[in-house]
Amino acid sequence: MDTVIELKNVTYTYPLADEPSIKDMSIKIERGKFYGVIGENGAGKTTLCALIRGFAPSFYNGELKGEVLVEGKPTTEFGPGELSLKIGYVFQNPFTQISGVKDTLFEEVAYGLENFGVPVDEIEERVIEVMKMTDIYSLADKKPFELSGGQQQRAALASIIVLKPDILVIDEPTSQLDPEGTESVFKIIEQLKNEKKTIILVEHKVDMIAEYADEILVMKGGRLIRLGDKQEILTDMSLLDEGVQLPQMAILGERLIEAGIPLSRVPITERQAAEAIGQALQKARNS
Amino acid sequence: MWREKLQIHKSNWIAALHPSCKFLVVCLYSFCALLLASFKVGEGEYSLYTIAWFVIVPALAIGSGIIKRFWNAFTKVLLVAVVIIVVQSLLIPGGDTVAQLWILKVREEGLRSAIYLGFSVMNIAGIFVWFFQTTENKEISCALEDSGTNYKVTYVFISTLQMIEILGQNSKTIMNAQQARGVETQGNIVVRTRAFFASLVPLILGAITGTEERVLTLESKGFDVNCKKSRLFQIEKTGREKMVNTIAIAITVAIVGWRVALWIL
Ligand SMILES: Nc1ncnc2c1ncn2[C@@H]1O[C@H](COP(=O)(O)OP(=O)(O)OP(=O)(O)O)[C@@H](O)[C@H]1O
Ligand SMILES: [Mg+2]
Repeated sequence: MDTVIELKNVTYTYPLADEPSIKDMSIKIERGKFYGVIGENGAGKTTLCALIRGFAPSFYNGELKGEVLVEGKPTTEFGPGELSLKIGYVFQNPFTQISGVKDTLFEEVAYGLENFGVPVDEIEERVIEVMKMTDIYSLADKKPFELSGGQQQRAALASIIVLKPDILVIDEPTSQLDPEGTESVFKIIEQLKNEKKTIILVEHKVDMIAEYADEILVMKGGRLIRLGDKQEILTDMSLLDEGVQLPQMAILGERLIEAGIPLSRVPITERQAAEAIGQALQKARNS
Repeated sequence: MWREKLQIHKSNWIAALHPSCKFLVVCLYSFCALLLASFKVGEGEYSLYTIAWFVIVPALAIGSGIIKRFWNAFTKVLLVAVVIIVVQSLLIPGGDTVAQLWILKVREEGLRSAIYLGFSVMNIAGIFVWFFQTTENKEISCALEDSGTNYKVTYVFISTLQMIEILGQNSKTIMNAQQARGVETQGNIVVRTRAFFASLVPLILGAITGTEERVLTLESKGFDVNCKKSRLFQIEKTGREKMVNTIAIAITVAIVGWRVALWIL
């Protein structure tokens, strides 16, 4: 197993906070996998992201116990800017992710590449490619501040993807998006996964996570309460009592099984549900 | 192709001058305006030359082909200048009465001070309006970087310019929203002042919140990376910068010489 990120007994407390926001967490993140992070508001998801990216404690200060390792090196030992090339970070709030010094969306997306000193011909190529991929190319000459919430959110994602980091930490990238926009963002993320990138994604829309993620991290009150394969975790009905939302299809499947319909497994996506129900119907017809 | 599209090509050569050249003109012009204001002319000892000097600002605006935009921005300056002129000329006593309307008297000293201050403001603010109306933010940013200014200073400067623009738009939106919510934004001075402060609260809160994320976003985009940055936008020179600089310096030297000569003689 190729571990890219590791947390060893991490407890983190923000400055002036009474209690830790992350409590004794130990996880290993495997290269090339897509991790979905779920949990209720205030569970510590964003804090976990900030720890992985090294913003906590280097920017937020506060107290860190244990170690956060990126490719085997503690985040506290990376120099300024060094982690920006390794880990792309997209924030929860799209409105704060505009540089404020660029006149057009095209230049905004190019901003990071300019900072990293990428040759201008390459910048142009990469920006166009990413803008097309994120479906904002038609907005290229608009002013960044004049975009809608959803457009800004896609722009924020684009300006990080364009840097081609190996690891992506993405905090609720679809909060401003309609169902169609959400779907398209997950399609983009799927494409990134196919490029062998490691993805850590915080998302409340658990149906989307069920569809696209590989592994699930469940958090509650600053603790990791589950980590593992999505099929196993998203069908664990005891999580409902912990206040965790499960996919609608899993709940439907569970009800059907309770009602005596013999499904081969509890489905978590629409495709799986159709399959399982189809098989059950077939069986009933045959007997 | 896109890079080509981002470049700025101006057909008017005065507007197209390199920002550093225009900035030199702005500085020298302001300096001369103040110097000329200290020339007292004729019996009344009014600063008449500074009025004549002001002809240059609209001339530059017309020459740069931006007279309309210039006028829109300049009306605000004009308003301030008119208030200064009226208040100064009516309120400062001393000297003979120059003009009288009912109980309102304009005295010599008031008028002297009004011309001095009013036209100094119009000259200096006017030339800056010309500068900002002919120069885009990215040109300023580019010129600052080329001149070796620290990228952090450049960032603060440019983001402030953009922020002013955005806050200006937001304050209108907020005013409208407050009005819709029942906060009076029209009426007498007291009502308007109250509405103004009521509108400031969301404006400032909006600007402050998210500063942390803003800083971290910049960090994520390599703001602090220690390497030579590249740049899509490149500034063009018209080739006439040297000539303009020379003319501006020559005029300044001539005016300084004149002033010195007047002192000595
Ligand atoms: N900058 C901060 N300073 C102090 N405490 C903080 C700070 N940011 C978050 N916290 C606290 O840490 C805890 C975890 O917050 P976090 O933002 O990580 O939650 P979250 O799971 O991302 O929630 P949400 O779903 O609402 O985004 C919360 O109790 C919160 O009050
Ligand atoms: Mg969060």
